Amino acid sequence: METFELRTVQRQGELAVLEVAGYINNEGGEAIASEARTLLDGGCRALLLDLHATRIINSIGISLLLEVLERTLEVKGTLAFCCLTPSIAKTFQIMGLGQYARLFPDRASALAELAQVR
Amino acid sequence: MAEPMRQRLVLPRVARAELIAGDAVEELGRRIGVPRDTLAEVKLAVVEACLNALEYGGGEVEVELVAHRDEAPWLEVAVVDHGPGFNPEDQPRPVLAAKLHALRKRGWGLELIRRLMDEVEITSRPGLTRIRMIRRTGGQ
Repeated sequence: METFELRTVQRQGELAVLEVAGYINNEGGEAIASEARTLLDGGCRALLLDLHATRIINSIGISLLLEVLERTLEVKGTLAFCCLTPSIAKTFQIMGLGQYARLFPDRASALAELAQVR
Repeated sequence: MAEPMRQRLVLPRVARAELIAGDAVEELGRRIGVPRDTLAEVKLAVVEACLNALEYGGGEVEVELVAHRDEAPWLEVAVVDHGPGFNPEDQPRPVLAAKLHALRKRGWGLELIRRLMDEVEITSRPGLTRIRMIRRTGGQ
């Protein structure tokens, strides 16, 4: 369950959806940051991270997600997350992440909303 | 009243050692009936305390788990290291707006521990740092 996996499962126009599974620590966070950088450099402006298979993100993983957020904001893009477990939702709430990133309960609602933005 | 269940771990210096403690507290909490979502929060707090101890501490990192089997079960966890110690009052509370533009985006661990657990007590001096955390069921 904690084995990290990352897949870009959808790329449509300026929108990309990344499925993340397992423990987001330094290694997982760096993999996400690297993939996000590639997508943003390639013209992507909306990144959706689907965390339905992620149960825990440590503070190092969090700091790397903030790098992704910073880079996304620099290119006037949108970073979004969906399918958060209650503990990850609470972690994001403690950080105040909702002020800068979009949080959705499921992928369908995220895609519907992001399609309008982009 | 049932005797508390106790477990003591010494973390090995290997990748993801913090998850050993996190998984142990999850298993112990499950056995005394702590709700799953509460356990996930305790697990993250324990993981963060262990990460700090492994990264900044020295010597053995010990984790003491106590599962109290009261009518409303609760968990008590202590993470101990033997590093140089630190003053928790010197640790600035992270602010997202500032972190976003800062080179160093880390520094969330203690904040998460404090916000996820009901009680947190940190005692630290050179050679001995102990973070003791309590989470009651139904706590915020």
